[in-house]
Amino acid sequence: MVSKRFIAKRLLLLVPVLFGVATLVFAILQLAPGDPARVIIGQRASAEQIAQVRDDLGLDDPLWVQYGRFLLDAAQFEFGQSYKVAQGRAVRDVLADRLPVTIELALYGQVFGILLGIPLGVLSAIRQDSFTDHATRVGALTGISVPIFWSGPLLILLLSTYLGWLPASGRIGSTIFLPTSWTLFGMELPLTGMVTVDTLLVGQFDAWISAVQHLFMPAAVIGIYSMALISRMMRSSMLEVVRQDYIRTARAKGQGARITLMKHGFRNALIPVITVIGIQFGTLLGGAVLTETIFGIGGIGVTIVDAIGASDYTLVQGTVLTFALLFTLVNLGVDITYSYLDPRIDQ
Amino acid sequence: MSPETTVDRRTFLKAAGGAAATASLAGCIGDGGDGGGDGDDGGDGGSGGTLVYARGDHPENYDPQQTTSGEVAKVTNQIFDQLILFTPGSGGALEDGLATDYSLDGESANVTLREGVTFHDGEEFTAEDFRATYRRFADDSYDYYLGENRSGYGPFTLGNWVDSVNVQGDYELEIQLTQQYAPFLRNLAMFAASVLSKTQIESLGANPDDQVALGTDPVGTGAFALDQIDNENQRVRLTANDDFWGDGPQVDAVVFKTITENSTRVQDVINGDSHITDNLDSQSSQQVEDAGSAELLSKDGINHGYMAMNMARREEFRSKEVRQAIAHAVNTEAIVNQIYEGFASQASQPLPPGVLGRNEDLDPYPTDKEQAEQLLADAGYEGGFEFELATFSNPRGYNPSPIETANQVKSDLEEIGFTVNVNQFSTFSSYLDYTSAGNHDACFLGWYTDNADPDNFLYVLLDPKVDLEDVPDGQDWVSFDTEGYSTLNVSGWANTEYMEMVREAQRTYDEASRRSTYQEANALAHEESPWVFVDYAKTLRAANEAVSSYTISSVGGPYLNTVTIN
Repeated sequence: MVSKRFIAKRLLLLVPVLFGVATLVFAILQLAPGDPARVIIGQRASAEQIAQVRDDLGLDDPLWVQYGRFLLDAAQFEFGQSYKVAQGRAVRDVLADRLPVTIELALYGQVFGILLGIPLGVLSAIRQDSFTDHATRVGALTGISVPIFWSGPLLILLLSTYLGWLPASGRIGSTIFLPTSWTLFGMELPLTGMVTVDTLLVGQFDAWISAVQHLFMPAAVIGIYSMALISRMMRSSMLEVVRQDYIRTARAKGQGARITLMKHGFRNALIPVITVIGIQFGTLLGGAVLTETIFGIGGIGVTIVDAIGASDYTLVQGTVLTFALLFTLVNLGVDITYSYLDPRIDQ
Repeated sequence: MSPETTVDRRTFLKAAGGAAATASLAGCIGDGGDGGGDGDDGGDGGSGGTLVYARGDHPENYDPQQTTSGEVAKVTNQIFDQLILFTPGSGGALEDGLATDYSLDGESANVTLREGVTFHDGEEFTAEDFRATYRRFADDSYDYYLGENRSGYGPFTLGNWVDSVNVQGDYELEIQLTQQYAPFLRNLAMFAASVLSKTQIESLGANPDDQVALGTDPVGTGAFALDQIDNENQRVRLTANDDFWGDGPQVDAVVFKTITENSTRVQDVINGDSHITDNLDSQSSQQVEDAGSAELLSKDGINHGYMAMNMARREEFRSKEVRQAIAHAVNTEAIVNQIYEGFASQASQPLPPGVLGRNEDLDPYPTDKEQAEQLLADAGYEGGFEFELATFSNPRGYNPSPIETANQVKSDLEEIGFTVNVNQFSTFSSYLDYTSAGNHDACFLGWYTDNADPDNFLYVLLDPKVDLEDVPDGQDWVSFDTEGYSTLNVSGWANTEYMEMVREAQRTYDEASRRSTYQEANALAHEESPWVFVDYAKTLRAANEAVSSYTISSVGGPYLNTVTIN
């Protein structure tokens, strides 16, 4: 059971965390080289034009004024307009467009990791020191060690270039465009931005198939690391649990090995794995930067790279804070889940 | 705890299991492939499927007056027209666009407009549209003026040169210039001079922030109309304009898709999921050449990559002999052939091939270490000296391997006694801040032409734009803080003979006179060597075998209205 007090306390703790991240982002961007004014109006602009832009953007204001303005705006989730990457669009709108793309990718990556990682971990534990166990452990070690920038192109070469099974890039077929909204009981509703969901909402099954094909490789690439970590964690957790007294007691009472393992062992072994899954979600968001670049997916990962390269300060600030918010919320979710699974945990 | 605030653990685990099962169903694999030419085309004109153009970046706003990005221009050049157009593949020849007749006479340009052209929203194109276009970009007395902070191209293209635009009738324009200005007609062909709809401009708010909306719903007269900007999937879809006044379009729709990574983008073309792509480096060019299903298209580019020596900062560079010695010592042939793998040619002068006024009598400086040492000794700098060479880190078209190039220069110069400290910059904007402030000793830079006019290289990059009187007698450099100094000239070079030549040629309308003046100016620049002239990079594109009638162009474009796909 989870108390409201516990959730409220954790939510309040978000405030100092986000304040710290905001301050850090602001400080780093102040120290970073590059003048946004020049980025906006380009190489051909005169010095007078650049001075004008700096003035318009308030870049010549004292640092504390800029910092105060930024904090005030950030508190309202208002980051101004993107200077360069989205040329004049509100950062909030850009994030609303791009965030579902990354979340979808991370979710599928996570699902991939969980679906393969947990069974492999259990199998490895049940058959400890067997060939299966060794193969799973070596596989897990490889999964943790292989970088995305290597596994991504390799998968493209194998599954797209040589075998022609899957498309090399993007989220959906090049020529498939979805409507901007869907209708439910006569009401026009916005789409979610998650292409595998939206294709179903608008009733285009062909498009859904295309979306799934496009998502498979990036989700696999991003999920391999997660799978490896989860399977290792699951294995060690299972091994620890099966040595507990209550397992022996259950067996002594005549309960079957499989039921004991799944009913008493698996559920309890899952608790530390859930924590890892939560923490992993943050890593997946980080991994999205590389994965999106390799597979041509326009999520928040590509956006942050573009924004940093273009000194698009407002977009960098907005994106990093959103990342931080997302990460902390996921951890909050993990903590809540954790306490569901193990009520003994001190709230 | 009340029941509504809690969820049973069993219910929770069941729900999680259900979600996982759904996700696993979604993970099934089909037979792959996009099939670039099929799908739900839905175009309302043309006759031949959907052309997919892969590129490396996805801007979100397609207003030609609020950008300096070539990625934006690729799309806006399909949606909008200019009064005058570059002839595809010609290297800068001009042809009629929305104007059917035009002439420059003294300080005015007279333009007759094409009749019967309509914007994508059905509004008729008239002279008032061009006037509104100009005023939005460069006239601060106009209610819908964008302001000076939207694009460096505002003053550069029109603002500095146009005094007023006078409508003489629905299809007649008189443009008053601030001075005689020979490149003006070419400026009218630049992407930044795309003609917008007055109705659309004035339907948006007068606040420049309201005008941002024009870029998300651009309405032009071009061969294709905007259908959808799909930011989530980094794509833009255009559909054929049935009422287009010119040739084509041959396809029903064009999709610009974005794949940042070069090799993946090229692979997409090889697989046939995309039809055309650009911004190829040597590795991805090789990838195309090795594939049977795509072709590498190459054309001499109108650009120049160079190493500027800053005379305003380093006294040693004020000696012509020192500059020539460095030009002789740097092995530009090795840079072009080995580092750029032949996708560029050696430079001999500021103007690249094919541009009016290029001096064909000039050859690249031959690599000659002995002559370099002799020149250094003559200048009193035997054994060289220590200096900083600033460079950007990320590849640019005219310098695809900046760090390797810098190391080659360092190694070449150290052979004759110099000590070169390479100073790398992580972002190009910070690099430009540094060089435009004149903080560098020497630096790499380059230039892609805007309009294929010689003025766009010789005046823009090597004239300091200061008054001739401000250059002290007997001196051929000025400091970066001289009044009016243009920081595009990163060498501080201020040779009054050269300045007089390029300024005179800028005002000369007679082509033969311009040509000979520019040839002299090139010869002088070659002799004085304010830069090491490094390379002219080739323009490279990859096209799938399904594509035909695609003309690669080094200025303007891409020209997609004539492309057919099989």
